[in-house]
Amino acid sequence: MAAKETEAERKIDFSDPKYYINRELSWLQFNERVLDEARRRDNRLFERLKFLSITSSNLDEFFMVRVASLKDMENADYRKTDIAGMTVTEQLAAVLASTHDFVDKQYSVYNRSLVPALEQDAGVKICRYEELSAEEEAFVNDYYETEIYPVLTPMAVDSSRPFPLILNKTLNLGALLRRRNSAGQGILLRQKRKKVEENAEEDLDFATVQVPSGLPRYKVMPQKDGAPIHVIFLEDIIRHNMPKLFLNYDVVCASPFRLMRNADLSIDEDEAEDLLKEIEKQLKRRQWGQAIRLEVEQGIDERLLKILVNELRLQENEIFRIDGPLDLTFLMKLYGLEGFDAFREHRYAPPQSVPEIPAGSDIFECIRRGDVFMHHPYESFQPVVNFVAQAATDPDVLAIKQTLYRVSGNSPIIAALARAAENGKQVMVLVELKARFDEEHNIGWAKMLEKAGCHVIYGLVGLKTHSKITLVVRREEDGIRRYVHLATGNYNDSTAKLYTDVGLFTCKESFGEDATAVFNMLSGYSEPRTWNKLTLAPLWLKDRFLYLIAREQDHAGAGEAAHIIAKMNSLCDPEVMEALYRASAAGVKIELIVRGICCLRTGIPGVSENITVRSIVGNFLEHSRIFYFENGGRPEYYASSADWMPRNLDRRVEIMFPLEDEDIRAKAMHILLTELADTEQAQVMNAEGIYERVDRRGKAIVNSQLQFCNEQVEAAKQAAQANTRVFQPEKAPEDR
Amino acid sequence: MAVQLFGAIDVGSYEIALTISECSKKKGIRVIDRVSHRINLGSDTFLTGKISYEHVAELKKLLSEYRAIMDNYGVKEYKACGTSAIREMVNASIVLDEIEQQTGIRIEVLSNSEQRFLDYKSIAARTESFSHIIEKGTAIVDIGGSSIQLSLFDEDRLVITENMKLGVLRLNDQMKLIDAGSTHRDYVIEELINSQLKVFQHLYLKQRAVRNLIIVDDYVSPLLQNRLAAGGEPGVVDTRAFLHFMENVRSQSRQEMAKQLGIADDNLPLLYVSGMLIQCIIRALNCEMLWAPGVTLCDGIIYDYAVQNRFIEPAHDFDEDIVACAKNIAQRYLSLPDRGAAMENISLQIFDETKKYHGLGARERLLLRIAALLHDCGKYISMVNSGGCAYDIIMSTEIIGLSHIEREIVANVVKYNHSTFEYFGSARIKTDLDKDDYIVIAKLTAILRIANGLERSHMQKCDDIRIAVRDGRLVITMNTNQDLTMEIGLFRNRADFFEEIFGIRPVIRQKKQ
Repeated sequence: MAAKETEAERKIDFSDPKYYINRELSWLQFNERVLDEARRRDNRLFERLKFLSITSSNLDEFFMVRVASLKDMENADYRKTDIAGMTVTEQLAAVLASTHDFVDKQYSVYNRSLVPALEQDAGVKICRYEELSAEEEAFVNDYYETEIYPVLTPMAVDSSRPFPLILNKTLNLGALLRRRNSAGQGILLRQKRKKVEENAEEDLDFATVQVPSGLPRYKVMPQKDGAPIHVIFLEDIIRHNMPKLFLNYDVVCASPFRLMRNADLSIDEDEAEDLLKEIEKQLKRRQWGQAIRLEVEQGIDERLLKILVNELRLQENEIFRIDGPLDLTFLMKLYGLEGFDAFREHRYAPPQSVPEIPAGSDIFECIRRGDVFMHHPYESFQPVVNFVAQAATDPDVLAIKQTLYRVSGNSPIIAALARAAENGKQVMVLVELKARFDEEHNIGWAKMLEKAGCHVIYGLVGLKTHSKITLVVRREEDGIRRYVHLATGNYNDSTAKLYTDVGLFTCKESFGEDATAVFNMLSGYSEPRTWNKLTLAPLWLKDRFLYLIAREQDHAGAGEAAHIIAKMNSLCDPEVMEALYRASAAGVKIELIVRGICCLRTGIPGVSENITVRSIVGNFLEHSRIFYFENGGRPEYYASSADWMPRNLDRRVEIMFPLEDEDIRAKAMHILLTELADTEQAQVMNAEGIYERVDRRGKAIVNSQLQFCNEQVEAAKQAAQANTRVFQPEKAPEDR
Repeated sequence: MAVQLFGAIDVGSYEIALTISECSKKKGIRVIDRVSHRINLGSDTFLTGKISYEHVAELKKLLSEYRAIMDNYGVKEYKACGTSAIREMVNASIVLDEIEQQTGIRIEVLSNSEQRFLDYKSIAARTESFSHIIEKGTAIVDIGGSSIQLSLFDEDRLVITENMKLGVLRLNDQMKLIDAGSTHRDYVIEELINSQLKVFQHLYLKQRAVRNLIIVDDYVSPLLQNRLAAGGEPGVVDTRAFLHFMENVRSQSRQEMAKQLGIADDNLPLLYVSGMLIQCIIRALNCEMLWAPGVTLCDGIIYDYAVQNRFIEPAHDFDEDIVACAKNIAQRYLSLPDRGAAMENISLQIFDETKKYHGLGARERLLLRIAALLHDCGKYISMVNSGGCAYDIIMSTEIIGLSHIEREIVANVVKYNHSTFEYFGSARIKTDLDKDDYIVIAKLTAILRIANGLERSHMQKCDDIRIAVRDGRLVITMNTNQDLTMEIGLFRNRADFFEEIFGIRPVIRQKKQ
């Protein structure tokens, strides 16, 4: 549909870079919002540790993928500007500057707020080695001798041993060593020696040892009754025992450092005959990517730092001097310490069944009664697991087909699929090997499924299969019936407890036909002639979204009801954003709930005055994608596995499915409206593109995630009461 | 059985398709799964007469997968049909045997007319739209890889059908050879198409107004079904909108077009050729409306199966289409319509009366009808060798709905009506027919000869003929006052042959009023 342009619109260039925010800077803002949760004093202490840990792991991934990609572009002398008009060099400079500020904020929260609170409130003290009692020191040294020392591999540098490979994301200790009574006979490389000598006029050798990743990052000291728990970092223990590693040397200085490398997998799939082998090869290569970020302890010996910087070829702004322990992801382990439940949020456990599918019922019969819509993690993921499990053993089930992107370590779904194949059913599984950072894991269980007799397809060349769909084909009395599950989230029973997603069970013929066609396409057969209900990326989904947005624009132009509510993880597709600006300019009310990246600006006169953007960051990761289009009073609701990002719409296999039944639409609208009313976990983008907490004045306090939990608990109680049989004793005749 | 699963496989020139359906009396036909995969068999066959080893290997792999898919659904009955790419292979029987041995799938080779007839049946199965559309002058163009079939309707009967070597794959390969470049591309392809369309126009379109064009193809139809149709009946488009669309196709780059249409880049050349074919036909026939019902050969195979097994009632009387076609051919070769009708009438009376003796069925009855209608067409060429000429005409003319074997049976019946019967095994016969076919030819020839004997004068001397078997004789009673001396005199030879075949002697009795 070509929405009619008004005279005023024609004068506005909606693609003007000034209307957009750089994607990387927007992502950094998102991480700031996560950091805000670590900062919030009304969050429980251990929850704050968890959020800080998340900011750290988020940042690692961001560097390995996004910053690495910018570095690649810079190396290739890529000249094009981004949607916000920034060159690659400008983006890199801005990202690194912003990250330095961010890291300062992280450690400010850690040092000023969390460490003291840990000690004072929780009685957990993170000790430096010097602070240990004699008894503790003996304990730690014994731990070093028995557990740590056997797994250490110290590596020195000399002419026969080049600078060692420092593995990506590993924590290491670098040291400068002075040989005892042997002036001039060091093992330092000559050229390095020259440099060190120039600075220090001293003959020092460089050595490094990796802090073993197989051991816990920290050691908890034996606790005396009532005394605080003392904790010491592994690297601190090794540092103080370093002289034992280099006999005949004095350790002049030793300091931890951590390196980040370019880890973006770039596979030439046209060349790769066997995708599985190629990914295995690339995984090995990931260790060798270009260095893009070096974290060192603040106060590191400058001579040591210089060697690292020269060897790893780093720029000044890629060096992060850290005021505290490197790699805060250890906080997630600390979060799990036993005995601190009071410092954690009560873990929400959803009712084990959903009202439409009571526990122990025949899931196929339940779906035949009507479509079932589920909102995870408020509603249990168990029905989805049961769906596959029941299909695996049901004698009438002929085939199970499923796409798998990320699954849990010990996935009951994988087990059920293997069982189904063993039971003689046709099981087809599309395993997306290219799911970032899960590649190795995915290869493992994909091979296991193959052994069990499943027909495993390893994704499509050039496209990631991100859609979440399961099809069960069943032979019933009146013929073949297809049961379909469609979802916004992965078939991962672990993350389903933490991510908010929606899913739909249906056995409507039109959905079944489309689901069959999806799997035929994924198997390499031709696309179907028509689709009934589903819209797929990369071929049709973007056009469909653009059409739906333009249709609202036309409705607004015609004076009809026009309103878009869209909830997703990220929004950065230029065409979609431009369409939204046009729609807004035409008067369409657009409410966006975008958890992460959002490159669109709000409140620009004549462009985006009708657009609001809010982000919800809470204990659960907002992950569902729900779309509402008012359509002149004939509203349409959709859910999808896709964000409004070019990677989803252009380079992935994604599915959008309509929500058709009235009660299901009401549920979807309830989700959207509750999140739009959230005053506690939501932050709203202002006209400067900065996120602010919601102004609560005059508003009811709403914590959407908490409210959804409470609603489900209440619903479960009501369902249980409704199902409770009350036996009324017959009255004795004289009482009547 | 309440619900029967059935698989239909179309081994086409550039695509191998499988459709699995459920057939039941309650729900009719319900398609469960459609799978297709592109293998360009046609380019091999059309260039070299053989399919390359690589393509045979790919085909075997694919058919094994299809077999597995059918097994997974529990499909027990299926029909696999090969079309032009297989038909035109010089070593078809060897390759098909190899495929059957290794995949378990037996591919039946369809004649062009059988294939088109199945396509036509699948269109007609869309009962409401079909009946409504063919009320006005309508043509069907069925675009395949090797050839196209252009058929015309007269009111609600299919009357003319012609096959032309203008298939998309063939044209595309020709365009590659010509290498016209983008500037001359449109001109060259139009020339290629129009050179054949002009003949069709000259032969059949003089007094015929064709308002609607029904298209069966794999490229334009999905677009009409999905994207070009602006509401209303799916697949129905005003021809002006289609011509405008083709202008767009021509003015845009391949990449732009692929993006705009949301189709794979490598499908565009064939989409373009298919579109150009339709455009030329629209202009030649001056059509106003296009309908792409979105049917496939697999749909036709399934429809045929469902009708044969009585899961559904036929949507249209297809036998009458075949008869109408035969009448049209007879008219083209200036046969006398009254004589044809008389021959048809007498033949069928004999056929029906002697059922117990010949044991033939409805299909053979239809072949007899066609033979009766066409029995004189050879005289257009030669009065002396009318049998041989009729044989050649019939064998060279598309009679939609008849298989190659059936067409040969009809041609032989007509030939032996005029000339000495040659027995099976005779050195002079070069044919694909087997003994059973030959017995059918003999029986139908015997009947037609009798009918011809009674109509010897071409004067329809008797319009009241009664036929009955009595006392081991076929008694033909002719209620007429006209002189039957010639008929009775020349009847002996015909009666001898009839007696040889059926074991009963036909006799003529005249009853004067």
